[in-house]
Amino acid sequence: MSSEVETQLFYPLTPGQALPGDWFPGKIPANVVAGENTVIDSSFCFKHFYAKAPVGLRVGSHVTLWRTSLAADVGAVIEIGDYCYLANASLVASERISIGSHVMIAGGVTVADSDFHPVGPAGRIADTIALSARGDRARRPRIEVRPVVIEDGVWIGWNATILKGVRVGEGAVVAPGALVNRDVPAGAHVAGNPARPVTEEAP
Amino acid sequence: MSSAPFVVEHDWYGRGMPPNVRIGRDVYIDTAYGFAPFRSERNPGLVLGDASGAYDRATFVVGPRGSVLVGEYTCLNGTTIVADDRVTIGAHCLLAWGSVLTDIWIGPGASTAARRALLEAGAHDPGRHPGAVAPPRPVTLEDNVWLGFDSVVLPGVTVGRGAIVGCKTIVTGDVAPYDVVVGDPMRVVRRLDADDTREEREQALLECSRP
Repeated sequence: MSSEVETQLFYPLTPGQALPGDWFPGKIPANVVAGENTVIDSSFCFKHFYAKAPVGLRVGSHVTLWRTSLAADVGAVIEIGDYCYLANASLVASERISIGSHVMIAGGVTVADSDFHPVGPAGRIADTIALSARGDRARRPRIEVRPVVIEDGVWIGWNATILKGVRVGEGAVVAPGALVNRDVPAGAHVAGNPARPVTEEAP
Repeated sequence: MSSAPFVVEHDWYGRGMPPNVRIGRDVYIDTAYGFAPFRSERNPGLVLGDASGAYDRATFVVGPRGSVLVGEYTCLNGTTIVADDRVTIGAHCLLAWGSVLTDIWIGPGASTAARRALLEAGAHDPGRHPGAVAPPRPVTLEDNVWLGFDSVVLPGVTVGRGAIVGCKTIVTGDVAPYDVVVGDPMRVVRRLDADDTREEREQALLECSRP
């Protein structure tokens, strides 16, 4: 192994480019728009980025993306504002995930706008066939998708999960491990599975 | 403990191990990828005891003044350890995937304004470190602790010997030895027999080691 290997952790998020010294042999997709001083650690973050929209990922300025999976289906759009910090999170979008500015997302967090499979048993049989090597993905059954919105100033703790259709209001706090399946009002603090408002402050 | 630089054989990640990780005998490491965010300036900044293992994506997010001690025979299976000061893990511990041990965090008590200030400062820091609102508080797992998957052990916590932390438990306070805790908020559901005697360990070393 060369002693000249890059040791920096982050590179500017530059559309269409490979990152110098990236351990993963990929590129930043061309349909990404990023503001100034926005950085990422590896093109591996785009391993599951299949978005075909002219802008599949729009990121503001001064954002840090570290080991964050930006998984976007063909028709999906992911939007992230300014001054966000995402560490080891997964954003899994079938249609749209919108994250405001000054949002902190901790390790192990998943944000998903879909169940990714039908709920009904017959639909799941059809989906396993359509997804298989013998199947036609264009013929997958209808799957419920509802965009997720995370407003400005939200903090999401370790291993929390935000499910489809949820709006997390401005300045809200999602405790570690919480599973959020309904809207969180602005300024609220929620915890648990399913997430509920916390009345007393955590120690 | 060896002093030569440790090389993970057949590692797909090309940057190698930090020099100030002290690795005991018969230690297993899947990849140096988990050491990319290791910035400790202490020596050693991390000790992996004899026959311990850092499996899958076990990740060490260690700050310049941070250090981590891992006891012998302890199995870190895709756990994340965040240490700005000190995280100590005893011997014979089992740490499952997605589990987190952290001596520092922002916490739900921080104001939106405080978080804004951290994000704006961190975005202009060369290493993009998000900073903290409170000093770190060391975390300790005593010997023979089992952490279930996706459990989170928060700053200042000590988990007592022989305890089990159920999957997805958020550990906000100390856990007594041999307690089984689950949930969020965490509660004690059972107390285990303290049968992990020195004699049992000696016997297990005889019976379960390779000849």
